[in-house]
Amino acid sequence: MNQEPGFTVVDPPRSVFRRKRFLLPFGIAVATALTGAVALFASGTVALPWQDVTVVRGMLASKREFFQDPEVRRILMKHRVQVEITPVGSRDLAYREDLHSFDFVFPSGQSMAELVYRRRAGKTTSPYKPFFTPIVLGTYRDYAEALEQRGVITPQPDGDGFYYNLSVPKLIEVVEQGTFWNQLPRKGGKDPVTNSNRVIAQTPDPCRTYSGSTWLGLLAFAKNGNQTPVDESDALRLARDVKPLFDIEGQHGEELAPKYVTPEGRTFAPVVVIYEHQYLAHQFRMLDRTGAADRERVLLYPEAQHETVPELLAFTPAGSRLGELVTREPDLRKRALELGFRVFGSGGSFDQSELSAHLGGRGLPSPRSGVGDTETWLPPRDLFEQMITEVGGCT
Amino acid sequence: MRRALLLVVALLAACTATTPPAQTLTVLASAELADLEPVLARLRRDTGVELRFDLRGTVKASEELARGSTGHDLAWLSSTRYLKLLGARLPLATSVMLSPVVVGVKRGKADALRSASWADVAARAGSGSLKYLMADPRVTGSGSAALIGVATAAAGTGAALRDEDVRCDKLQGFLVGRAPDPPAAESLFDEYLAREADLDAVLTYESTVLRLNASGRLREPLEVVRPRDGIVLADYPLMLLDPDKRAVYDKVVAWLRDRPAQEDIMGRTARRPVDPTVPRTAELGAELGTSLYFPAAQQVLNTLLAAYDRAGRGSRVVFALDYSTSMRGARIAELRSAFASLSGFEAFHVGERITVVRFAGTVLAEHAVTIRSAADVAALNDFLASDDLRDGTAIWSALDHAYRQAGEGAVVLMTDGENNAGIGPDEFLAAWRGAPVRTYAIPFGEADPAELARVADETGGRLVPATEGSLAEAVEEIRGCR
Repeated sequence: MNQEPGFTVVDPPRSVFRRKRFLLPFGIAVATALTGAVALFASGTVALPWQDVTVVRGMLASKREFFQDPEVRRILMKHRVQVEITPVGSRDLAYREDLHSFDFVFPSGQSMAELVYRRRAGKTTSPYKPFFTPIVLGTYRDYAEALEQRGVITPQPDGDGFYYNLSVPKLIEVVEQGTFWNQLPRKGGKDPVTNSNRVIAQTPDPCRTYSGSTWLGLLAFAKNGNQTPVDESDALRLARDVKPLFDIEGQHGEELAPKYVTPEGRTFAPVVVIYEHQYLAHQFRMLDRTGAADRERVLLYPEAQHETVPELLAFTPAGSRLGELVTREPDLRKRALELGFRVFGSGGSFDQSELSAHLGGRGLPSPRSGVGDTETWLPPRDLFEQMITEVGGCT
Repeated sequence: MRRALLLVVALLAACTATTPPAQTLTVLASAELADLEPVLARLRRDTGVELRFDLRGTVKASEELARGSTGHDLAWLSSTRYLKLLGARLPLATSVMLSPVVVGVKRGKADALRSASWADVAARAGSGSLKYLMADPRVTGSGSAALIGVATAAAGTGAALRDEDVRCDKLQGFLVGRAPDPPAAESLFDEYLAREADLDAVLTYESTVLRLNASGRLREPLEVVRPRDGIVLADYPLMLLDPDKRAVYDKVVAWLRDRPAQEDIMGRTARRPVDPTVPRTAELGAELGTSLYFPAAQQVLNTLLAAYDRAGRGSRVVFALDYSTSMRGARIAELRSAFASLSGFEAFHVGERITVVRFAGTVLAEHAVTIRSAADVAALNDFLASDDLRDGTAIWSALDHAYRQAGEGAVVLMTDGENNAGIGPDEFLAAWRGAPVRTYAIPFGEADPAELARVADETGGRLVPATEGSLAEAVEEIRGCR
């Protein structure tokens, strides 16, 4: 194989492939790549070249964390489905010019799905509801101690210190009084935290995200005596009442949940509006990595919860194929639990639910979500849009 | 299956045989990211993707992006905050690393500033004992973040800075300490090395301070001071400008956010990883404290920059103080203590021209000084200590006298009675209509707030009510107004 042709008059340069110092590393590279490719194929991470892989293009907001999970991608690849994600805030998603060019979209909540339905008038849109997750506040133990001392939150009876119930009206009261964090003594006679900012919950931009706009809805509902506004003037008055609560923060940040779990999280924001699944996924990762749960970070559940059921909206057969998989495929449903989502079971309350069992299996208590007790209603879509625009100054 | 594997081998061989041409992406990048070069070299080696940086100050780069296409494939700025202020639509962005803007203080000066607030920094700067280097806030993210941070702290609202908070700017003392010719460079690394002998501190990213310390080229090491009232944190989002480059963007982001790259970034550039699972190095282990809320409107920044440009010009204040006999006792004591307790952002600062006029039925005495040292402030307090109280209250004649000294500054008028000598308010207004001097009036005791408010408003100033016991607050509120 290595022989040179004997009759060559001019010695040509030897092919790069034949040089000895090339051959050995090349051979190793091929062997390594081959082993890797076989392993990937066997694990379902890649499909072999001649197999048809359906690339499903979707626009997603916070729920993209599910589809970015390597295990989810692997399971989907087993079914020869690969998801290509365009990350975008839920409200941005609903207004995007190229909305119809995707196979599916996955806004984080119903109110944004409604906007999508409206734009899809006359076009096929198939909804799938694979899981749900409530909007909560993520914070840190010392901040929770300050809020508890002030009577804004109370520990959940079986929460083992991880979960609290939040009175939104009391929180609004403390915010509107202009309270600074360093004015709030902590439970157990401890000194206030060192923070000379005013007390607020920091939220993603209500103009762009579902969680930001829903937090707006929660505050407005509480401020309006647990009523939704009935007409335009009512909605605008309420929006102007709520706006100062948002103006304290000024410019809203992005990607609050990924930052919340970093060691620098409390510097970004000590109290943030996030989804329950983002917190639970963090706890599962902590358990995997360190064997112990993170007891510094705690969740606050609004007492009047708003149930968030995100809908995967399929526009094409490829999108529907994905929708079917995420709602029915057992491995994907199991993985959703492992990522902290509540999946729809065969019925029954959350206490008997699969997520509850999963939490128990990992040694974590189950939160009481407030869902089913008092409920926060968001205003009718058109009024809500006006309120969001008024508060956020959306462009 | 065997055939299938052979095919894979063939395909792989084909791929490996022709080294893929390095893909090159152009990146509009914050200038301090020049220090990423070794990391980018590894990126290229591992992925075949070359990032070609076009370096700018973050504020300048944000302005270019907000105007429209810059022709770059990606942008990598310290923050999207300036883009958002300009109302630009945000491209797909992924945060890669973190670094706060901090004060790097020479070890010899650091003792006084450990666990300092921005007000403490401002007071030391204003008294001439802290000379610092800060980049141009019109161009750079570090300069802009520092300016916004210190102004937010000075407003003391605990909320995002609003335009009305900047109306009376409290930064003049702080800006006294600013080194001349602020560099337009985003990284102050070289600039600080060159000017170290003339400086006590540098306001810049934590990463720059730590790299200066590690360089072995400093005569005196720096200590990182994170003012306790809050800092501004940069999160370095990598942004996709050309949607057609999405696949390679994803590849680059995945590589950058993978653990080896995150560790490499931390090791080489002293920035903090966004990956929560990467243990921070000892020097990056410290808690950062809180962040200041960031303003929501570009207008706030514009007002702030105007104040920044005014620094050192026309810092002239005349205090016209009522020394009538009704002030005797608790009131005069409170007045003196209000002046003696001015501190932090409100402290008298070097270069400020202060005139104090004592009046009763006539102007009793006047003391004018351009502050050079603490002794000058002490002399002012000595002047206020006088017990020479007289009968009568000539408010408008005293104000007229004050206006003659005020140049283009401001007058703070404090009185506890009604005018019963000298000219009247209308005479005063007629004489000074259109003058570039504002009056801030503090009514006290039996003073007539309506009349004082009318005159103050006409000059462009305002009335600052002070019940007894809150005079100090009223004086503090007016400090920095002009």
